[in-house]
Amino acid sequence: MENKLWWKLLCVPILLYVIIVGLSVPLSPGITSMSQYTAYTGQTFTVSVATYNTFHTKAKEVKARLRKDTSLFIAAQNVKVIDDNNIEVTFSIPTFLPSSKKQERFSLDVDNDFDGYGTLPGKFIIKQNNIDSIVGAKVWKNTNFGNLNKRGTNFPFRGLLFETIRNTFFHVPLWFGMLFLFLGATWNSFMYLRTQDQDRDRRAEVMTMVGLVFGLLGIVTGMLWAKATWGTYWTWKEIKLNMTAIALLIYFAYFVLRNAFDDLEKRARIAAVYNMFAFVAALILINVIPRMTDSLHPGSGGNPAFGSEDMDNTLRMVFYPAIIGWTLLGFWIATIYYRALNIEEKYLERED
Amino acid sequence: MNTIQEIWFLFRKELTLEFRQKYAISGILLYVFSTIFVVYTSTFDADPKQWNILFWIIVLFASVNTATKSFVQESGSSQLYYYSLVNPVAIIISKMLYNTLLLLVLNFLAYGVFSLVLGSPVRDFQLFFIAIFLASLGFSITFTFISAISSKADNSASLMAILGFPIVIPIVMELVKVSQNALPGSFDSAINEDIMILLAIDLLLGGAALMLFPFLWRD
Amino acid sequence: MKKFLIVLFSILWTVDLSAQTGNLDFMHSTGKIYVVIAVLVAIFFGIIGFLVYLERKLTKLESLIED
Repeated sequence: MENKLWWKLLCVPILLYVIIVGLSVPLSPGITSMSQYTAYTGQTFTVSVATYNTFHTKAKEVKARLRKDTSLFIAAQNVKVIDDNNIEVTFSIPTFLPSSKKQERFSLDVDNDFDGYGTLPGKFIIKQNNIDSIVGAKVWKNTNFGNLNKRGTNFPFRGLLFETIRNTFFHVPLWFGMLFLFLGATWNSFMYLRTQDQDRDRRAEVMTMVGLVFGLLGIVTGMLWAKATWGTYWTWKEIKLNMTAIALLIYFAYFVLRNAFDDLEKRARIAAVYNMFAFVAALILINVIPRMTDSLHPGSGGNPAFGSEDMDNTLRMVFYPAIIGWTLLGFWIATIYYRALNIEEKYLERED
Repeated sequence: MNTIQEIWFLFRKELTLEFRQKYAISGILLYVFSTIFVVYTSTFDADPKQWNILFWIIVLFASVNTATKSFVQESGSSQLYYYSLVNPVAIIISKMLYNTLLLLVLNFLAYGVFSLVLGSPVRDFQLFFIAIFLASLGFSITFTFISAISSKADNSASLMAILGFPIVIPIVMELVKVSQNALPGSFDSAINEDIMILLAIDLLLGGAALMLFPFLWRD
Repeated sequence: MKKFLIVLFSILWTVDLSAQTGNLDFMHSTGKIYVVIAVLVAIFFGIIGFLVYLERKLTKLESLIED
């Protein structure tokens, strides 16, 4: 397998696809900020809205609405286009809200026929003094808005993330690649313990080594991404970050352990035992503990990491190939290292 | 002899040795007393959170020191002798049981001294003792196995720290979380889930250790 | 341990470089796209770093075989 070329070359088109499509598909239109985030019932006001990745001047018609859910909303009275990324929207809020609470959160939709629609979910708060949710529901249901315009193929816009959502194809697959490499190392350690074949030990060593490199890269890319979204390279509050760092320490210790032995057979056997134990411990660290605690990462606190909220189908079309591509690349690098070790081994045998 | 008899026999052997030498228990007690004394002289009024973390740090280091001895003090010839006599699984289980017992005694003693010197903010004793029990089990499983690995190398003491601490961190984190709930000032309704997770981690590591130990043992 | 130093060093250097090339304003401009570029550069340097490590390993091997 390690001498076959086809699967190594397979990762080239896959990664090319990932990089080209992952960098060139545009983000969907998004709303970055509004000049005000609160209003009262009965008020008529004009709010300026900054949008991202939109071309309002090229559109025939720009629409906006404040929405509680898909059926309860009011349309804007007037939308004035300032330039491609800025509009001024005038809303007239009815006397009652479709809610029995003193204040309610609403989402803002901005829609035009050129880009499609963009949403700022649940940021806008409207307060009311008198409550009549039945009358409110009637008024909020009756506005005429028409259908939302369709968007082209694009990645979802998320506030804070912006274009860095593309890191999903570069940062996240490194962790998957690392896990697959560690899994491969564990399998080879297991086979070593069954067969006592030094070759298996070399395979386990190189896979652990490349897995560690992938893990380090995952940490570094994660730090860069964290700086841009959370504002800091490293935070002790972020459980996933710290747990993966500790998981990497466990695998660093694997190489410290290897260096502690001179006898080849003993080194291979004890390293194999530790490697399998380390994989169990690392799985606990990476997969069990982070789910127990609140985290800044998406999908923590019980949810799987890539639920329907965080991944849409366009992201998946690049994300899954990205996992395959980076993993294949990892194994390719590992085989080169493995073959170098093999040559060294054969040479030393001939010397003896 | 079947495996259970072997475990019982080896377990008694460990106990007898300990009672004869009183080496481990007295050394560890000295360690616990001196650390708690240092803590006492520096912080007089620790709030429950600090108290909790200080307690687990002291327990963690005391546990490492205790468990390190379990394989390191066995000489090569006596290992060979065991190997020819008994099932390796019996050896690791008896060592783990013995260490669990030892750590249990030690941790309760540490808790006693700790609450004498610094006072005890513990509100929910049942939960706190469950935490101490799971701590003894988890530390004993992890450190006994790591001690078995590092005893194969020459410089085993430093190897013990390098290998052991990263692996034991998830246990410590869950422990702090569980025992925090036994103190005033925090309440988490889902704490039973945390206890199950802690137990699951202990059992998972224990299962892996039992499966792997026979490979480690044969020399 | 020495084995990892080259890789580690090259990666850390990349991080440092990307921190220096721009203040935050630059990294946050154009929808933070430069963060994606920095991530790609970091991965590139990481892989190159490992290649350099392999290269040295093979050079050592060659000199061993020639002797």
